[in-house]
Amino acid sequence: MGLKLGQAVKMAVKSILAKKGRSFLTMLGIIIGIASVMTIVATIDGYNRKVMEAFEAQGTNKITVSLSLSDGSNGFEKIYDYCQGLGDDVVGVTPNTQMWGTVKYGAKTSDTMDWQQRPRVYFGSDQYAKVNSFTVARGRDLNKIDIDGYHQVCVLGARAAKAMFDYADPLYQDITINGVPFTVVGVYVEKDAGSSYSVDSVIALPYTASRFFTDMSEDMSECAVKVKDSQTVAPVMAKLQSYVNSLTQDGERGWGYAYSEQQWRDESNSILTMISVVLGSIAGISLLVGGIGIMNIMLVTVTERTREIGIRRAIGAERASIVTQFLVEAAMICGVGGVIGIVIGYGGTHLAGTLLAGLVGEEMSLYPSLTITLAAFAFSVSLGILFGMYPAIKASGLQPVVALRAE
Amino acid sequence: MLISIKDVYKIYGEGLESEVRALDGVSLEIDNGEFVAIAGQSGSGKSTMMNVLGCLDIPTYGDYFLAGKDVALLTDKELSRIRNKEIGFIFQGYNLIPSLNAVENVELPLIYQGVSPFSRRDVAMEALERVGLADRAKHLPAEMSGGQQQRVAIARAIAAHPPIIMADEPTGALDSKTGLEVLSFLQQLNREGSTILLITHDNGIAATARRIVRLSDGKIVEDHEQEVDWA
Repeated sequence: MGLKLGQAVKMAVKSILAKKGRSFLTMLGIIIGIASVMTIVATIDGYNRKVMEAFEAQGTNKITVSLSLSDGSNGFEKIYDYCQGLGDDVVGVTPNTQMWGTVKYGAKTSDTMDWQQRPRVYFGSDQYAKVNSFTVARGRDLNKIDIDGYHQVCVLGARAAKAMFDYADPLYQDITINGVPFTVVGVYVEKDAGSSYSVDSVIALPYTASRFFTDMSEDMSECAVKVKDSQTVAPVMAKLQSYVNSLTQDGERGWGYAYSEQQWRDESNSILTMISVVLGSIAGISLLVGGIGIMNIMLVTVTERTREIGIRRAIGAERASIVTQFLVEAAMICGVGGVIGIVIGYGGTHLAGTLLAGLVGEEMSLYPSLTITLAAFAFSVSLGILFGMYPAIKASGLQPVVALRAE
Repeated sequence: MLISIKDVYKIYGEGLESEVRALDGVSLEIDNGEFVAIAGQSGSGKSTMMNVLGCLDIPTYGDYFLAGKDVALLTDKELSRIRNKEIGFIFQGYNLIPSLNAVENVELPLIYQGVSPFSRRDVAMEALERVGLADRAKHLPAEMSGGQQQRVAIARAIAAHPPIIMADEPTGALDSKTGLEVLSFLQQLNREGSTILLITHDNGIAATARRIVRLSDGKIVEDHEQEVDWA
């Protein structure tokens, strides 16, 4: 006994198709609502993920220390030495200085490359790889002897190697940077295969080699300190800050500060969440309006079809069967609307990604995650059930004879 | 006893000055296999009677036993099952669902029995064949004449082979020839063992029934059996 679900679905399809225009207009509310909520949530979620990935790729648990002393002594070395005294809490210390330069290998020059592919030259200490979470794939890393001996060697990130050497073996090849020759002694493992502008485009030189470049200042004023874990960030940062303060004598003899991206990240995270909630709720209002539209149209449908309901009741439909019929119909309108909304949401998210990319100047192809997609679909179907409930119960509640009398 | 009602009242607007007693203390027993005409002028309460007997409406007071069961104690589910399996309705206005074609309309009671689509189509076609409309199976009600629509409605009523058929003015909207066809079909069903309740205002039609129950102002004023000569 009773109406089978498959049958109810067939009936719903028939009834929706019988009134195509009205069904579509009803769906429109759901389509717009789902598409906008999805675009907003997915864009923010995707952007957040990009930011996270960028942080992860740069290496987590890092503290940046900037120190410039007016007596001209090397700030980095002071920090480096100080950190060696902090024991296990500090994983590594390296300068964080980038140099704009032309990298050449034979006839190949970085000047003609797409800026996203172009290798980027960094000065590092022997702990550069540790701080930036690189591991050596081939050859060796920079070491203390390279630093102390002003060796003209370099280690390439996977992308930089690819950009300069294609599939040729870069090891022990000579490249020039702004005309100064360097020998490739190692290649790092690729960290961030996904994005186009990548940390893997790095070329790491011993920071002492900066003396070969006339336009580089001798001191490495900014450096990165990598600590053991996220709990260690704050205490080490406090120590570094007070050390910096003691060196500059609170700004009398230069300037300096210590900060952590982690703080910045947490802040940006909570700001993004807040934006997401605010925009999401605004878009959610359109979903609510869509849902009320569903309820309204289902009420009209129920009224129009009171006689049909009466006939069905008279020939043996239980109340539950009538409720099922109308609920399935409402859920289906919302489900189909949801699917269309999701498709538009995908497009919207992609578009938002492109617009954001224009703003940020970084390529960003954003797509909603599977979780968001499934959640959007489930949400729209339950919206149909929620707002279809009242009309459906109303439809089933009539005495058969009363329903039959309706015109 | 198949149907037994005792002191049944159906009162609209009870206690008001305008209260209407559609059924005013009616008692009636109908046995298996009877062919009963419930006759009366319009407003005599005969349709209300059918609605109550057909479990489409609830009496205000009084007892109704259907095949020994107290209808007042049945749940919606049980009442639905009775309307679905025990009673076939033929309404005056046909009451076909306009968006469904003939065979889909006939299938409706079977859908609510949960019969599978294939055997349901077979059973429905069989019923349409019995009323001589197999060739109109795919036609919508609007594409058929009144007589054809009534035959679809009859096919729907008999599709699930219910033991009781209740027909409310089944000939009311038909010309006399088609009306007679419908009547003889009901007589045929009765000969095959169905219990028939025929509601009519037409004395000529009532006269073709084995038993006539006449209602006036919600009361039974006449109840007699007669010999009939069915072709």
